[in-house]
Amino acid sequence: MNRVTLLYVGILFTVVLSFAGLTIIPQHQLGSLEPIVNDDGTEYPVEPTGLVAHGRSVYVSLGCMYCHSQQVRPPGFGADIDRGWGSRRTVARDHIYDQPPLLSTMRTGPDLANIGVRQPSSDWHLLHLYNPEITSPGSIMPPFPFLFDELTLEVERPYDALSFPTEWDPGEDVIIVPTYDAKALVAYLKSLNASHPVPEVPR
Amino acid sequence: MTLIYIFIFGSVLVFGITAVAGFVWAIRTGQMRNFSAGATSIFDDEEPVGTMTDTFPGAGTHADRDTKQEGRDSGQRD
Amino acid sequence: MANETEAPYGMPEPSTVSWREGVDRSTAVVVMAFFASSVAWLLIGSALALAASIKLHSPGFLGEWAWLTFGRVRPAHLNTVIYGWGSMAGIGALLWLTARLCRVTLPFRLPLMVTCVLWNVAVAGGTWSILAGHGTSVEWLEFPYHWSFVFAGLFAILMFSTLTMFTRRKVSHIYVSQWYLLGSVLWFPFLYAQGNALIHGNLATGVVQASANWWFAHNVLGLWFTPIGLAAVYYLLPKVLGRPIHSYYLSILGFWTLALFYNWAGTHHLIGGPIPAWLVTVGTVGSVMMFIPVTTVAINHHMTTKGHFDKLRVSPTLRFIVFGAMSYTVVSFQGSLQALRTVNEVSHFTHYTVAHAHLGVYSFFSMVMFGSIYYIVPRLIGREWPSGALIKLHFWLTATGMVMYWVGLTWGGWFQGLEMNNPDIPFMDTVLMTVPYLWSRTVAGVLMTIGHVVFAVSLWLIFRPEARDIKGPTLFDPSAAVTGGEG
Repeated sequence: MNRVTLLYVGILFTVVLSFAGLTIIPQHQLGSLEPIVNDDGTEYPVEPTGLVAHGRSVYVSLGCMYCHSQQVRPPGFGADIDRGWGSRRTVARDHIYDQPPLLSTMRTGPDLANIGVRQPSSDWHLLHLYNPEITSPGSIMPPFPFLFDELTLEVERPYDALSFPTEWDPGEDVIIVPTYDAKALVAYLKSLNASHPVPEVPR
Repeated sequence: MTLIYIFIFGSVLVFGITAVAGFVWAIRTGQMRNFSAGATSIFDDEEPVGTMTDTFPGAGTHADRDTKQEGRDSGQRD
Repeated sequence: MANETEAPYGMPEPSTVSWREGVDRSTAVVVMAFFASSVAWLLIGSALALAASIKLHSPGFLGEWAWLTFGRVRPAHLNTVIYGWGSMAGIGALLWLTARLCRVTLPFRLPLMVTCVLWNVAVAGGTWSILAGHGTSVEWLEFPYHWSFVFAGLFAILMFSTLTMFTRRKVSHIYVSQWYLLGSVLWFPFLYAQGNALIHGNLATGVVQASANWWFAHNVLGLWFTPIGLAAVYYLLPKVLGRPIHSYYLSILGFWTLALFYNWAGTHHLIGGPIPAWLVTVGTVGSVMMFIPVTTVAINHHMTTKGHFDKLRVSPTLRFIVFGAMSYTVVSFQGSLQALRTVNEVSHFTHYTVAHAHLGVYSFFSMVMFGSIYYIVPRLIGREWPSGALIKLHFWLTATGMVMYWVGLTWGGWFQGLEMNNPDIPFMDTVLMTVPYLWSRTVAGVLMTIGHVVFAVSLWLIFRPEARDIKGPTLFDPSAAVTGGEG
């Protein structure tokens, strides 16, 4: 036995200690969080299914979280609530079903934790995704034209064809329709709502 | 699930006690002395203390050689 | 002319060469393979970086294709420079340093070559997956999880090789660099395995995955890159100068306090987030405590170099290493401050953080790796770098680019944060304010990328027949040796 053993032991001990502290203990503390059951039997939060779940996978696939966060900081710490990004701070319970959570660490674009409350219009979201310049002049968000199909007018306009403002209108013969991925993504964005009261945030 | 907690907290405890014991032993057996010997352990007769072992290629004796040289197959040079 | 370079695998006759040359030659093929791979990834990662940077101020750039959308190019950049450039250069340095410090030849060379090849395959495959849309959106763990099994196996080979060298060592003393290297090669596989299991294996749930994510990601910096970088500086600084480390006792203190504190800092990425307050506080405490190891390292390095800063004009390695070591001090102090709530309130979510990240991974770690490669490669292949001018060009392009990068985004990011915290300023205005700084970052990135190309050219030229052969692995030009004074 020599000082090498001391080295090995110390190295392993220090990392196991932080592992326990930053993952095991929090998991013990938060792992048993349950959703809130409302009087009418509905729950909050709800595990995403169907179109919303697919929309979440599109969000992940396109890397939206590299510009958009999904967390509302407490009042008095930053100006998240004052900006209208949420009615309360977000808490661990909001993310029970988020595997993985999309909290993010960049706000090149605004926070999206409550975007479903702030911007409930599907048409706005679809136009914005197609070309952010249309709804938000000056935006540096990239366009997502590949989330849409371009068709030529045959008999009549499809019901889900995008309606452009005059200055962006591509013309009568050009029809832009959202793909399934686009619709799913919009459904997911509209589902983002962290305003439900939770016991962790007293009114 | 309880088994995992026992394992994890148990291993942290075992590591912790061993580390502290190891540290105490190390001090007792004088591992923490004679530090200057360690600092010079990377030097020897070939690369002794006091001699630099790195310079810009060609510095000091030639102008910077660039790579535009004739005789591509000049082979190895001494 | 009989030449020891002809048999890189074989151990030359002990009577004709020093132990040093034999050890260096034994590591030649493997370490060179890792270095060459790392530089290839550096070029790819730089291209992805430029694309990402341009897209931020000119969002229509290459905007028609899903596989090049910013949300995919940005993680592709991160993963190629972290697991491609940084990790492979780090592994090359780790293997060479360990062989040198243990004074043993490199064992398991075939498994290690296989490791190099498979590592390249895994990084390429993972990056392709991200661009194809299968990225996980877990920061620093974006590769689809099946690649993690490949990396796990490769880590095992790496650990085994390093520990074998360690147990076979011929020196009784364990030099400070070896502590750091042993730490990194034991810490990182543990981190990697746990991070993947907790997050991709869903052993952690909800926001605990976020905490696990940042325990992992911050420790890639703290327990993988930092120890390898510091190990390189602790060896190469005294080696180049010919002066032993100033205070060995400080080295010990620095190592243990780093080991104890650094790995708690991860949750400073989640300040203000939906996690328990104690978890955030713990991260802040760990981050601030880092003042101790960082100060000891800074004192040690400074006192070792003091009085000999003129040697920066003489040695290419020294220039890169000193730049890197000084950056380590700056970025760490900055990081400790960023973990304080009052500072974090402004800097979080802004480009300020991006500048800080690059100050660490590039200005510290990458510059140290450049210096290490400039020192190690001639000793592997017995040849001199053909052009000092190219090395100087590489240095000035990357150093200038890095300073410009950091100044632009730190300044712009700080004001971005201040404006974001003012609810009277519309969000779009805060975005528009950052655009000029995003342009400055692109310009800086172009300089850095050109520097990388220059570096790659040097690396190619040294293998050309025109490059001058040297007999031994020591001085580039013996007649130009400058005495470094007494130890």
